[in-house]
Amino acid sequence: MSEHDSVDLKPTPGDRLANFYKRSDVIQSTIFGVIVTGIFVILGGKFYTKWMPTVMSTDMKAIERLMVVFTWIAAPVCGVVLGVALYTFLNRHSGDTQPPDGPATRTNGPIVLLWSVVTSLLALTAVIYGITELNSSSIASAKNAEDAMVVNVTGSQWVWTFEYPKLGVSSHVLMLPLNHPVTFHINSVDVNHSFWPVQLGVKVDANKLAETIAETTPNKLGEFDVKCAELCGLYHAYMETTGEVMTVDDFNSWVVAQGGHSA
Amino acid sequence: MSSDTKFQVHHDAPEAVGRRERLGVRLLIVADGAFVFGMIFSYFYLRNLDQNGGWIPKNGHTFSASSGWMAVLPLIVAALVHKLAQRDLSHQGSFSLITLVAYIYGGYYQLHQLANMPFIVKDTGTFEGAYAACWVVIAGANFFHYFVAGFIALGLVIRSRRATVDPVLESWRIRTAASWFTWVAVSGIALAITTSFI
Amino acid sequence: MTTLDQHVGTRPIPNPKKSLITKLNAGTGLIVGIIFALLTYRGLSTVLDISIYELNNRVLLATMFMWSIGFLAGIGAFIGPIRWLIGEDLTAEEQLYLAGDGQGIKRYFKYCTDHKVVGIQYLWGVIVLLAVGGAMAMMIRTDLANPGGHFITPSVYNSLVGLHGITMIIALIIVATGPFGNYIMPIMIGAADMAFPRLNALSWWVLFTAIPVLCSAWFLGGIPTGWTAYAPLSVQAGPGMNAFIAAIIIFAISTAVSGANITATVITMRAKGMTWNRVPIFVVGATLSVAMAIPAFPTFMLAMIMTAMDRSFLTGFFDANVGGTGWLYAHLFWIMGHPEVYVILLPGVAILMEIVPVFVRKPLFSYTSAIVGFAGIVGLSFLVWAHHMYMTGWMPMLNGPFMVTTEMISVPTGLIFLVILGTLWNGKPWLKVPMLAVYAFLWNMLVGGITGLYLSDVPADMYLHGSMYVTAHFHYTLMGAALTGAVAGLSYWYPKMTGHMLHERASYISFWLVQIGFQVLYLGMFIAGAEGQPRRVVDYAEQFATSNKISTMGAYTIGIGFIVLLWAVIHSWRHGKIAPMNPWGAKTLEWTVPYPVPLVNFDTPPVVTSDPYGYGRSAK
Repeated sequence: MSEHDSVDLKPTPGDRLANFYKRSDVIQSTIFGVIVTGIFVILGGKFYTKWMPTVMSTDMKAIERLMVVFTWIAAPVCGVVLGVALYTFLNRHSGDTQPPDGPATRTNGPIVLLWSVVTSLLALTAVIYGITELNSSSIASAKNAEDAMVVNVTGSQWVWTFEYPKLGVSSHVLMLPLNHPVTFHINSVDVNHSFWPVQLGVKVDANKLAETIAETTPNKLGEFDVKCAELCGLYHAYMETTGEVMTVDDFNSWVVAQGGHSA
Repeated sequence: MSSDTKFQVHHDAPEAVGRRERLGVRLLIVADGAFVFGMIFSYFYLRNLDQNGGWIPKNGHTFSASSGWMAVLPLIVAALVHKLAQRDLSHQGSFSLITLVAYIYGGYYQLHQLANMPFIVKDTGTFEGAYAACWVVIAGANFFHYFVAGFIALGLVIRSRRATVDPVLESWRIRTAASWFTWVAVSGIALAITTSFI
Repeated sequence: MTTLDQHVGTRPIPNPKKSLITKLNAGTGLIVGIIFALLTYRGLSTVLDISIYELNNRVLLATMFMWSIGFLAGIGAFIGPIRWLIGEDLTAEEQLYLAGDGQGIKRYFKYCTDHKVVGIQYLWGVIVLLAVGGAMAMMIRTDLANPGGHFITPSVYNSLVGLHGITMIIALIIVATGPFGNYIMPIMIGAADMAFPRLNALSWWVLFTAIPVLCSAWFLGGIPTGWTAYAPLSVQAGPGMNAFIAAIIIFAISTAVSGANITATVITMRAKGMTWNRVPIFVVGATLSVAMAIPAFPTFMLAMIMTAMDRSFLTGFFDANVGGTGWLYAHLFWIMGHPEVYVILLPGVAILMEIVPVFVRKPLFSYTSAIVGFAGIVGLSFLVWAHHMYMTGWMPMLNGPFMVTTEMISVPTGLIFLVILGTLWNGKPWLKVPMLAVYAFLWNMLVGGITGLYLSDVPADMYLHGSMYVTAHFHYTLMGAALTGAVAGLSYWYPKMTGHMLHERASYISFWLVQIGFQVLYLGMFIAGAEGQPRRVVDYAEQFATSNKISTMGAYTIGIGFIVLLWAVIHSWRHGKIAPMNPWGAKTLEWTVPYPVPLVNFDTPPVVTSDPYGYGRSAK
């Protein structure tokens, strides 16, 4: 059956391939595809860097880079899908009657194979890229773990509390020294919360009686937001506070002003 | 079934109807199987996590491993007896009566266990500890299995005494029931193994 | 011999044995259900020595389940099992009566076993659920139109978010397999009815009893948890939570019953000659979807039973003080939750795959790829649940493996794209509304899939998890892809289900309003998510104002679009253009039967000699 299907079949594969590139549907789809891919490549570079907040740690930088790279990986997929879709959409049949029958192509082995291999490779690229990022961030946190400053973060309905055990200070705003690794020990006293210092690119759930750990190194001075990213009841929306990354001197004087002893 | 009207819900042979019904029951067993899997998963997850040492109830009382097996023994016996009923259809009614009695006894025994839980806190009527919670839900599932199996066994007993029942289709119904009886026995064994790890 | 009325003329007079059956309907169901509920509430309050004004968890739960049982008893659901128990199986006449033969519009309010009646019941059930869920969405977006707005209180808002979520999830699970899986699918495979007609009626009426239970949450103080109902928040929640729990348990029973029924139907009831490689792709997709639901939903049901026990009997499944953990809930929930996403998606995609060959007049490209794609998604979907739990801290070292399985899903999903694109290629599509939906699907699923790629990646998810970005992503897949497919199915099969064409101009207008509004709404939401707005918040900071305003405008556009569609559906039901037998020139079996479809569908059982995609120039 399949031999009859390929009405466009030419005597030799070489001829067929040469003719393939001259076909108007192929040319049009390719043009659309290239345009779409280009748009997504440009968008990939612009969208997330425009809308995502200020980068205040290496983790956040890595996340932003990941978003951009993933958009680039996806761009050719968008190009192929939308290129073909746009071409056929513009090549539509108008009128109120059924269109004439198209070629009775049942399948095309090489295309199916090529498609499967390419999508698998793209997925593999994404997996490998993601895993290396994951790995490098965990290596970084292991390196920093020893000299890191510990902050005990406690979520309760609907307040965040930050305790600096070595410094004897407790606060509802999160002050951090610049370029100093910090380890958050996160806990909850009631329901699940999710600790999210937005600009630092960190997010971990706060569970009752089960500590979770997160690590980061802020590398930019300025204020950042701390939010709760897990629905935790009535005032979930208002369970937010601010934090600030400050110079080590400023941080020490803040600690002293809070009644603690500076590190 | 009479065939004097043109319409019949299924104008198929009894074999086709029987196979179809057995398939339906087996698909429902898949659903029940996922439920049982969920309970086993929960049991071992909580047991191995032992969150803050809270697995064993605070008063330290648990069931013994053997009591879990006692609760599912009637399920196993009934499933085996039903195998005999399948082999010897002429005495199926008597065998089904035995399975029915086994299910009634097992259901009663499971309720009895639930009413006499050692870990219950007397003054509040509540129980503490993840073990207790898991044990209760497993006992509840066993009881549900007894209830459904008992209903089917009761039907088989009554139907074996009625002349109105089509014997060919009924032999398929008995095989279909066997699927459920075997499954509840298997799930009972799985749950009893689970509760053996206290 | 072709219409129901002619059937009636040849039927014998009802015999006295079925007197009880003839007296029962939804009205008696309501009465018995309410009596059961009231007696349970009053009786159990007395037994437990509780004031009837105290909304006790145990009493409320028992009341809701007894309502359901009472309703089912009142409508006659238990007649079959009891007659089986006492050895007096239903006679052919009684089964004929139960199939609603010659009972006109009344059969839609009875325990009717005719799959076509059940299909219509499901269709209207879905429409009501979607309307209610949609109205809630409009209220949510109205509240979020401005920062600091106090359109509704946080308590009402949280309930809205949760009930919108669960209403839409329930609606979308049944949106394709309910109406089309019941009405169209048996005809499509050449069967006279479903494998188990009484179970079919049961699945619908069980689902029906869950709707008032879910609605009662509003009168019991609402739910604060969102549709995921994470413990321990759900354990802490007020009495409204019982309604959520009971509704889910009842719904899970309905899903298991309907899943077993549809699967058994397709496996055992196919027409002669319909081998597995000749089964229409919609049937394959819908069957895989419901077959996947069979093992998926019981774990959700178990999680709900555990929540109920923690609330009512103070057990400690989710209480960390006594050895429990909320992680257990998250596991059980997402072991159901991720397959459930594909339970929703597959039938919608399969409908579109059914539509493309008809409107392009080409065979479905690579049927095998479609099957492999579906099967791959089904298989993988049970191995990816913990990607919803990257940030919970349950076991960070397993994030890597779950990331791998999750990203592997893009390969079978890619095959689905290939099938649709390959069918479109070289064709001249006939852009009726069902075909337009295919293009909408390609775009929406592309966006949904790519944004899913970011979310599947652990470091990126670290930022995006729990933000509006996630909300936008899953609306693209569930609404943009699955619901679009179901709406396409509605305008495609509407002629067969009602005998009239769906109002064409109105459905065009609706399509464009909905799709454009959809892009606007979720573009705004993607931006809000990238900016860092958490989801499920009643209020937000000034910085998110623009993106939220854009979203709200899009939402209203969608709302208007769906109102237009609803008008079209109601108007065309009686006044639409009379439909020819096969308006689209399709080759599947459902277009070979007239409207109204005869009670047993086919006067002579059809014999299938090829697959239904024999379109194309050289195919003869």
